[in-house]
Amino acid sequence: MRKSKSMIVCFMTAAVITLLFMYVYPIIRTIIMSFFNVESVTASTSTWSLAGLKNYIDLYATSIFRTSMINILKIWLIGGIITMFFALLFAVILTSGVRFKNFFRAAIYLPNVISAVAMAAMWRYYVFNARFGFLNSFLELFGLDAVNWLDTGHIFGSMLVAYCFGSVGYFMLIFLSGIERIPSDIYEAAMIDGTNSFQKFRYITLPLLRGVFKTNLTFWSVSTLTFFVWTRMFSPTETENTTVVPVVYLYNVVFGSKGVTQVDAGRGAAIGVTLAVCMILIYAIMNRLIKDDDLEF
Amino acid sequence: MSKRTHERINWKKEARLLPGYILLVAWVAFTAFILLWIIAASLSETNDIMRGEVWQNVFSGDFHFENYVSAWMSNNVSVYFANSLLYSIVGCVGTILISAPAAYVMSRFRFFLNKTIHLSFIVAMSVPAVMVILPLFSLASGLNLTNNRILYIILVICLRVPFSVIYLMNFFQNLSRAYEEAAAIDGCTPMKTFWKIMLPLVQPALITVTVFNFLSIWNEYFIAMIFVSGDAKTAVGVGLMNIVNSMTYSGDYGGLFAAVIIVFLPTFILYLFLSDKIINGVTAGGVKG
Repeated sequence: MRKSKSMIVCFMTAAVITLLFMYVYPIIRTIIMSFFNVESVTASTSTWSLAGLKNYIDLYATSIFRTSMINILKIWLIGGIITMFFALLFAVILTSGVRFKNFFRAAIYLPNVISAVAMAAMWRYYVFNARFGFLNSFLELFGLDAVNWLDTGHIFGSMLVAYCFGSVGYFMLIFLSGIERIPSDIYEAAMIDGTNSFQKFRYITLPLLRGVFKTNLTFWSVSTLTFFVWTRMFSPTETENTTVVPVVYLYNVVFGSKGVTQVDAGRGAAIGVTLAVCMILIYAIMNRLIKDDDLEF
Repeated sequence: MSKRTHERINWKKEARLLPGYILLVAWVAFTAFILLWIIAASLSETNDIMRGEVWQNVFSGDFHFENYVSAWMSNNVSVYFANSLLYSIVGCVGTILISAPAAYVMSRFRFFLNKTIHLSFIVAMSVPAVMVILPLFSLASGLNLTNNRILYIILVICLRVPFSVIYLMNFFQNLSRAYEEAAAIDGCTPMKTFWKIMLPLVQPALITVTVFNFLSIWNEYFIAMIFVSGDAKTAVGVGLMNIVNSMTYSGDYGGLFAAVIIVFLPTFILYLFLSDKIINGVTAGGVKG
């Protein structure tokens, strides 16, 4: 086919501009900004002064930032285990030959198409409500005492459960398509050898899902590192540390809030870079630990 | 598939699957119960909600639609809704107009930096928004463009282009080159061939991408909060959070749940009709929409 230079230029220009405008320029400038003293995010570059690693050193010494990193680690690890467990469980159940598979699959995925703000509102103001909430009505049914799910001791766990509930569907779909790609003759051969369903899962399904696990863990890391809406919904006004996460701290430090005495955009940029480095590290470690499927099927 | 449903039910097999059914039904019933309760609460008076009597209220046929009226009119939901609709529609159209031509030439021709650009789009899909908003905000405020609808639309388009290009490339790659050759013989210019022949051929993929983009822009929160925070221009996500925060102080739970339902409905209805397309899109693309 004839190659038309003018056509390539015409068709690519707009897309390349979005790339430069939205990603290349801002990423480079954020990285540079993190090494400068920048008070206000709107300050012109002439007022910037070189700070070296000061933003990072100060940031890592700030207790609220450390708390936020520990919180995000908990969300990533505990939430990850819960979400992946249920996602894999439902994927296995749905491929075991149950009826109404498409209905169940669609119903479990549903929370993913709903605005996170609406989802969080449902959980915070109904499910966890101390007076008329779902959980306490449920406890009442069994004659148990009501629990305040949103007090300092419970709020982090409550938020995590609500977040995981909404996330399961997406990861279930990825596991599901992974399991469906495994050829059925492998299972048939195993059946002839007399394996039970647990053995089939442990020795066939699980090892063959390695690549899918890697995909899921990468997506899970990307979405938890930028955790934001749920904290804003569960602790809208409080600046207490129980639910704080890095992006919330970044927002407060750059755009100001009650708990922050002085805005500091340079520090905000350092938080952004820290999160991006975490993401790259997770990705690299994952690539090392989980080798891509060397099997072709 | 239809043949299977006419088969007799194999009770032994179904009994073996019982634990699986119980888990599935419990999970889905919980989801359905919450949604139904929220709908019932959105039609109840706050006093009834507080007493935990929404079911009694709804079954007695006592619907309080004024919750919706107050949420829609006096709490600005109509404004947020119209804004989000505008952002989503213009954003989706703009994204396709930019992504489809790029996806086409990237999948068809080899040219300078093609591989680099392709890789950049893949990386861009997982760049966290916090890495880009600070310079963009300072740029916007320097040009007096904060709280500006057009800038927000441009930002959401830029946000959706990488996913759309990568997703559409797969589909253009699978089209036969015979279409272009035949068009060239008939004297059709390459550009005209794209708009008249190639683009219509990937229509199913365009629909899937647009559905994902719509969901994503409708549910977008972080960038809207920073770039269009004003009450008159903000999107439903930010608006709903403002409503929720102010209503917990005023104690108007009926209005709160009505606002939640209004924001929830458009994407839910879309999902009712297109769930198969959406689910296939997720598994085919392997990319979060």
